[in-house]
Amino acid sequence: MDLRVIEKEETMLSIEIAGEDHTFMNVLKGALLETDGVTAATYDMNPEQSGGQTDPVLTVKTDVDVNALDALEAGADRVMEKADDFDAAFDAAA
Amino acid sequence: MSYKCSRCKRDVTLDEYGGVRCPYCGHRVLLKERSRDVKEVDVK
Amino acid sequence: MTQDYEVEFVERSDREARFLVRGISPAFANGIRRAMIADVPTFSVDTVRVIENSSVMFDEQIGLRLGLVPLTTDLDDFEVGDEVTLSIDVSGPETAYSGDLVSSDSLVGPADDNIPIIDLKDGQRLEVEADAVLDRGREHAKHQGGVAVGYRHLQRVEVVGDKGEFEDDETHILRGVIEEQAAEHVDGDADDGDLVLTEEFDSDLTKRYPGKELEVHDVENAFVFHAETDGSLSVEELTLRAVDSIRSRADELRDAVQL
Repeated sequence: MDLRVIEKEETMLSIEIAGEDHTFMNVLKGALLETDGVTAATYDMNPEQSGGQTDPVLTVKTDVDVNALDALEAGADRVMEKADDFDAAFDAAA
Repeated sequence: MSYKCSRCKRDVTLDEYGGVRCPYCGHRVLLKERSRDVKEVDVK
Repeated sequence: MTQDYEVEFVERSDREARFLVRGISPAFANGIRRAMIADVPTFSVDTVRVIENSSVMFDEQIGLRLGLVPLTTDLDDFEVGDEVTLSIDVSGPETAYSGDLVSSDSLVGPADDNIPIIDLKDGQRLEVEADAVLDRGREHAKHQGGVAVGYRHLQRVEVVGDKGEFEDDETHILRGVIEEQAAEHVDGDADDGDLVLTEEFDSDLTKRYPGKELEVHDVENAFVFHAETDGSLSVEELTLRAVDSIRSRADELRDAVQL
């Protein structure tokens, strides 16, 4: 997974995630919004309608006492947790 | 070049001098046979 | 904090199933649906070597038809990019079917034996070697394992009163699955909490609750998935692999962020 940081401050992060599409980005965005300390999370699939560039750009904003990069990590953790819990629930039913 | 005569169905080999004509029955309609090469096709 | 998911099967067979998931966010549900369609790989023919084709169709047409034959896929033993060779040799007068494909690997073969490839007349023959490759639906639709995958909100029907005596008895069509909340108004066997497919009452609520005034509500964060596969893998495998593909991407992202 290739990441390219576009803008980074303590409580704000804008990062391009190469090779991903709505399938993962929307799940990640959803998980970030449920994560403590995250005030805003969004992604743009075709920034500025730029010429053919369609790798998604994720933007995260956090509370003053939370580092944006840590929040992103927590968001990814949360997605994995969701996946594991879904697996367990599905296996229990199947 | 190998062809097949459309009337007598015999295999015909043409050289550059004989013109287009079946040497067995004189018919002028010859059919090109498919090459025996294995053809690879990409199904993308 | 752990997520509290609850899964319950409403309908289930080899290739088709309906299951309810409670406690799932719309974003995650949609991620799973999209991954089931485009991210779970299956085998499909993508190169053919034509040794003989005296049929009435072009090599490319035969190749396309072979590509669309679903092949059984065991994802424990293969990874994306792996190839398996199959061959077919049929002489007319006979119809060449997908079942005539002979695979070099017993794990990979046609999921259905009765898909016609071409009708061969007397004297015609088809002999082809085909390489199947494991790839994802987002590369080409022939690699899609999930053929029809979707979800709907679980719905709750509330009886709010009786219909007026002179009101029209128009049909009230509803599709999907309802969670029974008003069993006492239903003729026959019904308990509150039952999951009922609307097909069971002809998808017409007036047949289940005759003469009642009704309100229908979506149940939040409860989605009923309806999935059908092309036979290359089971619905269970398809779903779990889809979730796994999302998980592995999150894992990758976390590793990339930590660096």
